[in-house]
Amino acid sequence: MYTEPLQNATLWLERGLNKLFSQKYNPFYYHGALPNFFIWALFISGLLLFAYYQPTLATAYASVRYITYELPFGNLFRSIHRYASDGMMIFVILHMFRVWFTDRYREYRIVPWVTGVVLLIITFIVGLSGYLLIWDQEAVTLANMTFNLVGKTPFVGAALAEALMAGKMITDYTLTRMMFLHLGIPLFMMFMLWLHYLRITRPVSEPPLALVVMLSGVLFLFSAAFPVELGVLTNMSDPAAAPLLTAVSPNVYFDLLYAWPQYLAAHNVAPLLVVLLVIAVPVGLLILPYLQKKALRDQFAVVTRENCTGCSLCYNDCPYEAIEMVDRGNDGTRFKRLAVVDPGRCANCGLCVGACAFKAIEIPRRDTNNVLAEIEAALTVS
Amino acid sequence: MTTENPKLIGLVCERSVDFKGHLDDEGNMLDHPSVKIIRVPCSGQIQPVMLETALKNGANGTFALGCRMGDCHYREGNKFCRDRLIGKRMPKLKPSVDKRRVQGYWLSAVEYDKLSELVGQFVEDCKSLPAPEVKSTAKAAK
Ligand code: HEM
Ligand code: SF4
Ligand code: SF4
Repeated sequence: MYTEPLQNATLWLERGLNKLFSQKYNPFYYHGALPNFFIWALFISGLLLFAYYQPTLATAYASVRYITYELPFGNLFRSIHRYASDGMMIFVILHMFRVWFTDRYREYRIVPWVTGVVLLIITFIVGLSGYLLIWDQEAVTLANMTFNLVGKTPFVGAALAEALMAGKMITDYTLTRMMFLHLGIPLFMMFMLWLHYLRITRPVSEPPLALVVMLSGVLFLFSAAFPVELGVLTNMSDPAAAPLLTAVSPNVYFDLLYAWPQYLAAHNVAPLLVVLLVIAVPVGLLILPYLQKKALRDQFAVVTRENCTGCSLCYNDCPYEAIEMVDRGNDGTRFKRLAVVDPGRCANCGLCVGACAFKAIEIPRRDTNNVLAEIEAALTVS
Repeated sequence: MTTENPKLIGLVCERSVDFKGHLDDEGNMLDHPSVKIIRVPCSGQIQPVMLETALKNGANGTFALGCRMGDCHYREGNKFCRDRLIGKRMPKLKPSVDKRRVQGYWLSAVEYDKLSELVGQFVEDCKSLPAPEVKSTAKAAK
């Protein structure tokens, strides 16, 4: 399987990190929880910015300048918000690569994977709309080129660009629309996260306190030491006259994450090709799980009705919400409930086997009786 | 009293330590030939009764091996296994079991070197324990 070397590389990296952080605080073991940390940091730092930001073409830049240079602690909050957004992107992408490299992204995990791809798109839209809100020269240019590229999308381009711009050209409403995307889409993100966790029993959604304190400290100190700057705005009256984004900006994240399609377009790559490239990323991610052979060939845990006491221990332990405790009706036993396995969700992992004290549940690929027989055989030989 | 050549049974998650090239045809470790490795899909599948069976049938020691805490492929299997070994989760290891003869190791696929070291230590420790009584009815009948 092609993921095996990738998995080993990840494990070697984690082996090193275990030495550095200890196993308990290894950030790689909180790959899903760390984006959540940044969501909170963004929410809190964003509140203050939201209070002072004004979404009109004439005042947006001035309000950001006020926040940056005059409002007490304004720039600290703005810097925290910016760096937290970079952290968010980095850790969401890290999370994605880790679940992919360690083969945690297909079959019974298809729901978290697909909702994850949606979350990734959402995160990008929120990030991009945030950059546009600043409305300095870079933002104006990026806005122009983004709307232009979106307009080149086959079939739906014109309508999509109009929806994004809230009209046929950039107006005050455009910034209101960006503001909506920047604040409203995160609400949708909460809904997607609910779906993301739907099939995961006890998701590890918070990093341990020590990591939270450490990350908050780093974020805070970094923001205080390297406050973000505000670019210039030369062409407020005529956004369309803004220069092209051809040079690499000092913000690497910005370039790598949001601006690369614009660079391609500015370097004479056909817009249609750029649009297709952008679309290819999520589509490729969605296809990914189907490129590998099914590992388990539709096997799942099987309950032996006569042995099951309805004790729920397997139900508690199942990591993918695959067991349901149902009313067993009047079947001659004194027990009220029965464990039932949902084949589509079952990971064939055997955790339920380890939980059951009554030999009532087995996974076909490793029968308990065989394990016991092997143990006895190993000891009688010698 | 000491035991010359203690026999150990290791119940091993197939996603944790990679034994490729480290086992003989019978599944004994090349580094420690008296240690037999038996694979299960996840350490979360290991029932205390499996470890008890090993000891009842004359193993000098037995261990469970799962992935690093925090990195179980099935999310929580190793944690549950550990909690069963230390008596914090049902079904628990019987209190009568000699805890010196039971170990849990939590290592990733690329940590064979560490495991070999730990198992070597365990083998040494078992040498200083008295030979176990064989309680299995199957053996007693022979
Ligand atoms: C907003 C960003 C995201 C957040 C806050 C988030 C959070 C989480 C959390 C807390 C878990 C549970 C981890 C555990 O308990 O083991 C999880 C699992 C998962 N996530 Fe995400 N996630 C995000 C984005 C993504 C993305 C972009 C992808 C991939 C495209 C993804 C794919 C997955 C998969 C496949 C799992 C299941 C892993 C397993 O079952 O072991 N997630 N996520
Ligand atoms: S643990 Fe065993 S006995 Fe209890 S509900 Fe599950 S299958 Fe039934
Ligand atoms: S094997 Fe058992 S514990 Fe694992 S997913 Fe299936 S039902 Fe749940």
